[in-house]
Amino acid sequence: MKVMTKTLTAVLAALALASVAAQQPLDRSKVPPPAKPAALRVPTWTTSTLANGATLIVSEKHDLPLVSFSITFLGGADQFEKPDRRGVGAFAAAMLSEGTKTRDGEALSNALQLLGTNVQAGIAGENGSMTFQSTSAKFGATLDVLGDMLLNPTFPDAGLERLRAQRLVQLNQAKAQPAAIAQRVFPRILYGAAHPFGQAVTEETVKAITRDDVVAFHQAYVRPGRALISVVGDVNAAAAKTEVERALAKWPAGGEKPSFQYPELPARQATTIYLVDKPGAAQSTFSIGNPGPARNTPDYYALQVMNVILGGQFQSRLNANIREEKGYSYGVNSGFAYGKGPGQFRAGGDIVTAKSDLALIEFMKELRGIEGSRPVTDEELTTAKDALTQRLPGTFGSVAGINTAITTVWAQGLPPDYYQQYGAQVAKVTKEDVVRVAKKYIDLDHLAIVIVGDRAVIEGPLKATGIAPIAMTDIEGTIKAAQ
Amino acid sequence: MLIQPTRNRWLPRLVPLACLALLSTAAMQSDAIKIPFTTFTLPNGLTVILSVDHTTPTVAVEAWYHVGSKNELPGRTGFAHLFEHVMFTGSGHVPYGLHDKLTEGIGGSNNGTTNNDRTMYFETVPSNYLEDELWLEADRMGFLLDTLDVNKLNAQRDIVKNERRQSVDNQPYGRSGEIISKAMYPASHPYSWDVIGSMTDLSAASEDDVKNFFRLYYAPNNAFLAVVGDIDPVQTKAWVTKYFGDLPRGKAITRPAVSPVTLPAEQRLVFEDRVQIPRLYVAWPSVGEKSTDHFALELLGAIMSGPRTARLTKALVYDQQGAASVLTRQSSNEDVGEFTLVITPRPGHSLTDLEQAADAIIDRMKTEGPTAEELQKATAGEELRFVSGLQSDLGKAGRLADGAGYHGDPGYFKTEYEKSLAVTAADVKRVANQYLSHGRIVLSVVPMGKADQASKPADSKKVTDGDAQRPEAR
Repeated sequence: MKVMTKTLTAVLAALALASVAAQQPLDRSKVPPPAKPAALRVPTWTTSTLANGATLIVSEKHDLPLVSFSITFLGGADQFEKPDRRGVGAFAAAMLSEGTKTRDGEALSNALQLLGTNVQAGIAGENGSMTFQSTSAKFGATLDVLGDMLLNPTFPDAGLERLRAQRLVQLNQAKAQPAAIAQRVFPRILYGAAHPFGQAVTEETVKAITRDDVVAFHQAYVRPGRALISVVGDVNAAAAKTEVERALAKWPAGGEKPSFQYPELPARQATTIYLVDKPGAAQSTFSIGNPGPARNTPDYYALQVMNVILGGQFQSRLNANIREEKGYSYGVNSGFAYGKGPGQFRAGGDIVTAKSDLALIEFMKELRGIEGSRPVTDEELTTAKDALTQRLPGTFGSVAGINTAITTVWAQGLPPDYYQQYGAQVAKVTKEDVVRVAKKYIDLDHLAIVIVGDRAVIEGPLKATGIAPIAMTDIEGTIKAAQ
Repeated sequence: MLIQPTRNRWLPRLVPLACLALLSTAAMQSDAIKIPFTTFTLPNGLTVILSVDHTTPTVAVEAWYHVGSKNELPGRTGFAHLFEHVMFTGSGHVPYGLHDKLTEGIGGSNNGTTNNDRTMYFETVPSNYLEDELWLEADRMGFLLDTLDVNKLNAQRDIVKNERRQSVDNQPYGRSGEIISKAMYPASHPYSWDVIGSMTDLSAASEDDVKNFFRLYYAPNNAFLAVVGDIDPVQTKAWVTKYFGDLPRGKAITRPAVSPVTLPAEQRLVFEDRVQIPRLYVAWPSVGEKSTDHFALELLGAIMSGPRTARLTKALVYDQQGAASVLTRQSSNEDVGEFTLVITPRPGHSLTDLEQAADAIIDRMKTEGPTAEELQKATAGEELRFVSGLQSDLGKAGRLADGAGYHGDPGYFKTEYEKSLAVTAADVKRVANQYLSHGRIVLSVVPMGKADQASKPADSKKVTDGDAQRPEAR
């Protein structure tokens, strides 16, 4: 009866509110004040070290019968691939699905399909991973399949040759895709061919990779000494540890965390437009930027606030101007690629061909603006801080989201109370900090401006802006001799 | 094949309808398949669905309007999608920019999306801002026209053109969808024009045209409001009543009569595009949401392609190794649907050979039907997909609103799950025979000047740029 009484009272209260509304005309011009925010609830987790040296983190969440599992390897293609074998890590990851000592590729696929899930293996620049999500009932069985893929792969030649052919088709298709061209050219210009960040998977490296390369990569890379195993969801922490130890019992110790030493960056060139010709393109794809700071920069929070104001959101200055006010684009933005090395700062987007010059003028205007010529307003600063701080609870809404949040703390070496302290750190940022970090990390005199577009239409107008000289560049990012 | 333009490419999109509809399963505990909800209807006709989930201090609000491009008239296309953009530019009591400030500016997000059948708007925010979101949604439902003028329309029209350039014109193979729609539906058919519409039509429209369209379709009696997450349902109902209660009911709406499409014969087309590698598209008219056959067609799609054991993937990509990739899928709109096959060849393999090889595999499926194991594999992941979806307030709001809007039942997700469960091997075999017939579109997209790389080039009609490209793209 207690529940029903409560409900009845509440219904009466609602009726009362509704009738008040009916009696007094509603003043719609008043923005409703928000209610009191909920206290931040950060997930908790336990950390232990397995006998083979791998770190294990378990975070329990029992509202749904779900588990997110991952093994994250510190260090990635930029640490473990040779320049002439770029792409070997991706092959090694894909080959884990091609068969084990007891299951061929089809048997692996069948087993995972019947478990209702899939194991994803992949490698990025500074890390690699094997992940799956499962119902809690299927967690142990799926983990067994993952363990088999990790410990007993056979790397059949036929699988490698098929993957190679498929990869070559993708690389060929990407030559017609402006965004893919920009993603290849921009880092090449920023970092050069001698820096891992400037190197790319090419038809040559894909053709050069042998089965021996793949096997050697796997043996050197997939080691527990650099691995974080994380289990998030509807599991008991002790039971999860037992399951992981059982499934990975035969994984021998070894492997170290890489040092993440990068070569010196090439000398910065004066601001230049690197134009990649794409005849007939309906839009010009812009990437403007320079190498940026590592994630551990003390300026991280100020940079986050600065970027929200500049180009991190819909109503940020870049998009508000170039899309909403001028109508040159469907969307432009900016961001920093944070990691252990000098990840890129990039501002860009797709611009209607005929407005390429005018858009470039506006990009440059906003970059100068954030460096001081357009003062940061109180409202911009407050909104940027609110946006950053108040989005945090939503990132803990799913088992996969929590897994990512915890893995980031481990991989980037953040303090254990990072999320608890986040709001206070953001709150400290001042307007002066915003301008200072913009000036420090966006070098207006040494920007790379990569534009993939229709040269016949845009070269003249771009030149006429007087913003920077133009260097013609091929789709691999090699600068052509002056013509 | 059915594009769903959105306001903003950075923000998350909802799961496409066809994926939501793929809620099939094998022998699942149906007690995992639940989203608790309550529903009520205001006197002005607004249907409201509330669902409580306190797991995360966030809330999703979705305003779902039963209007899409099919409600437009020939010569006046693109309105539904244009409104999706205009709806973010302020309304009677909400100045431009405030909507974004009260969503992304407080740690949340917003977006909108339009298809042939419906337009929806959604916000996910910290739950203490719920009243603000209801105030925002009510204001643009009730007072959008107070501040709408030609300048605002023109500004958004430019952005929509950019959206089209980015998602269609500047993408390799980007025109395939509109070429297929144009070939599949007669010109008078409400599904024949693109959701993104004709810029010529939009330019020609008078202010009155535009305002009348809004008054008719953006009325509370044509809308569904789902509020999901960390909410107090009693307080939420009071707020909904406060902000939406006095908005006037609109006029009665006549929905377009949509006749099913059958193609009397195969139509073969070739289109030259700025691509490196040719690609084959085969599209059969099938059924939409309203026909239960779409469940079996979705399973057929999952059995034919995807994992390496799927029929076409295994044959073309793994065993014969003529294809780099194969995709099959059923796309279900409200009234009509399409079953599509896409093949990307490996070098040295012609589209003609690949089409023939694919047809042989499809014919075998028509004769044999799927095995019990194939059905089991194709449905085994559905419980995980459903339960995983329960982690998202927005995902749940989408399911509840789709059910209410298309089927008159917010709880339709459960029916859907059960109907998928009930699909048999005989059903899959039957729909393969019934819908994957000779009446189909076969489109080869080939590199410029390489029409000879089409499948059966001598039998394929060239699609010229003028045929393919609608006026707005020029």
